[in-house]
Amino acid sequence: MLNQQEILSTLEMVQHENLDVRTVTLGLSLLDCGSDDLGRFCDNIRQRIGSLARDLVKVCDQVGQKYGIPVVNKRIAVSPIAVAAAGFDRSQMVTVAETLDGIAREVGVDFIGGFSALVQKGIARGDRALIEAVPEALARTARVCASVNVASTRAGINMDAVLLMGRVIKRAAELTADRDGLACAKLCVFANIPQDIPFMAGAYLGVGEPDAVINVGVSGPGVVKKAIDRALAGGASLDLGRISEIIKRTAYKVTRVGELIGREVAERLDIGFGVVDLSLAPTPHVGDSVGEIFQSLGLLSIGVPGTTAALAMLNDAVKKGGAFASSHVGGLSGAFIPVSEDLNIGQAAGDGHLCIEKLEAITSVCSVGLDMVALPGDTSEETLAAIMADEMAIGVINRKTTATRLIPVPGKKAGERAFFGGLLGESPIMAVNNAGGQNRFVRLGGLIPAPIQSLVN
Amino acid sequence: MRRVIISVLGPDRPGIIAATARILFDNACNIENVSQTILQNEFSGIFIVTTPAELGIGDLNERLRQGLAPLRQHVFVKAVSDAPPVFDTGGSEPFVITTRGPDQKGLVARITEVIARHGVNVTNLQAVFRGGEAPGDNIMIYEVDVPPETDAEELQQDLRERARELGLTISIQHRRIFETINRV
Repeated sequence: MLNQQEILSTLEMVQHENLDVRTVTLGLSLLDCGSDDLGRFCDNIRQRIGSLARDLVKVCDQVGQKYGIPVVNKRIAVSPIAVAAAGFDRSQMVTVAETLDGIAREVGVDFIGGFSALVQKGIARGDRALIEAVPEALARTARVCASVNVASTRAGINMDAVLLMGRVIKRAAELTADRDGLACAKLCVFANIPQDIPFMAGAYLGVGEPDAVINVGVSGPGVVKKAIDRALAGGASLDLGRISEIIKRTAYKVTRVGELIGREVAERLDIGFGVVDLSLAPTPHVGDSVGEIFQSLGLLSIGVPGTTAALAMLNDAVKKGGAFASSHVGGLSGAFIPVSEDLNIGQAAGDGHLCIEKLEAITSVCSVGLDMVALPGDTSEETLAAIMADEMAIGVINRKTTATRLIPVPGKKAGERAFFGGLLGESPIMAVNNAGGQNRFVRLGGLIPAPIQSLVN
Repeated sequence: MRRVIISVLGPDRPGIIAATARILFDNACNIENVSQTILQNEFSGIFIVTTPAELGIGDLNERLRQGLAPLRQHVFVKAVSDAPPVFDTGGSEPFVITTRGPDQKGLVARITEVIARHGVNVTNLQAVFRGGEAPGDNIMIYEVDVPPETDAEELQQDLRERARELGLTISIQHRRIFETINRV
């Protein structure tokens, strides 16, 4: 017999605190779809994805209904196209992206990730073709997401790739200037990219993964915020150790939901289950915000002094709760701080509480990085590259994933607003300070060597 | 030896179970299962016990009635049938139906009518009607077993339709979600 409290608290999480399964992502290997003929290659991937993903949306909806927990997004992540389609040139890569976009539409998923390259130590021919195709591919498609891993703790930072990505981002923004540079919102640049992220835009299926796998992304910033609010309103004097415990327990519950749903979807599709990625991923709705958690913790806003400590505690407690809840936790697992996708964080940027320098600082303790950051349209490719290099360095040195999703919004200046629509949200354009003059550093190129693994001070 | 079921009902106070158990012990009965609950201030207990062959049901009933009279408890005793259960739960899936909304007469009747029509068995029902202005305080929780032959989609539709008529919000969720979230 269940007790009333168990039932009512669960209902509360679903009905009033935005607990949901943010994404069920079907990972599919395309590595055996290879052909030197573009038409045949596209046919092969169409057939592969079509046959395995046909029932994904239907099954996710059925399982969601059974448990009363909505599966908000259904997505697909494929093998890095730079590897799967290595023989093709830039324009052929664009055709591959359009093919992926068409399949995604047919099977009813909102995003398909894996238009990706791994170039942390060097750029192979297929990688270059893909990277150069990214601007056009993202401008001409709606559902394709791209990612490029330019750095890792074991390889160092490929500064040639970083600079190249600065150019790619500028071009992608120009090609979608009428939509505030929307293409850039579908492009992540990574250090230490995990092979099993279910969240977009960074999802792809790593080469160490099986033919097909179900990975689940659960969210729930609203649930965490409400749990903290309830505890504080309860009148008990809570110190940060106790609050951390509350966050941990909440993360445990949310992760359990994800694993239950993910395993059942996987079973019904007869595909293996991979990981749960418990990430506090906000949406541009009140009550579904990571930024609001900082206020519950007693800070005026995200970005004020104390933010880094608060986020460090939050991120760590989320990971601990997730790790206890499931033996198969992966992906990014932590807290996201995407500026435009979180109403409260966007507001903090608009109010001047959160500047890009502080945002960079807190990415050293969050699970991703400079995510969905709208920048002035005249930000140079060198400056973009330099911002990315800084972010990659944080990941490489700290042995963690970091990423950037930077959007230099064409024709707009700091303080104006950029609109991306839907889950991508809107935000004020953040000023880039001290970016004048030449940046010869990023033009020196080469590889910043992998860091020493001892003397860790 | 035979099995009998005993129900004890009356105002709650200390000593009801102790007195019942003492009488059963004195009459060489063995308690197999007990379930008891307190609803507002009323005690309700159900005991399944094995009795010696020579002890008649009427005798046991009388001894319990006399013994529990000072505690103002009503007693009922009947034999437990050894026939197979009327309702076979094999292959059933446990769901939890929760409703919230303004109180009115006939809520339980009208919801359970739909549940029964679909051949679904209620295994546990908790209903808290506090009345008043906060409809969120009026909650019914039905734990049910849905047999494999029931069309789950139709059941859901009918329940949602009925809830709409009654002005209730309704959730229908597989029981496993509550266990998964709340239990280690």
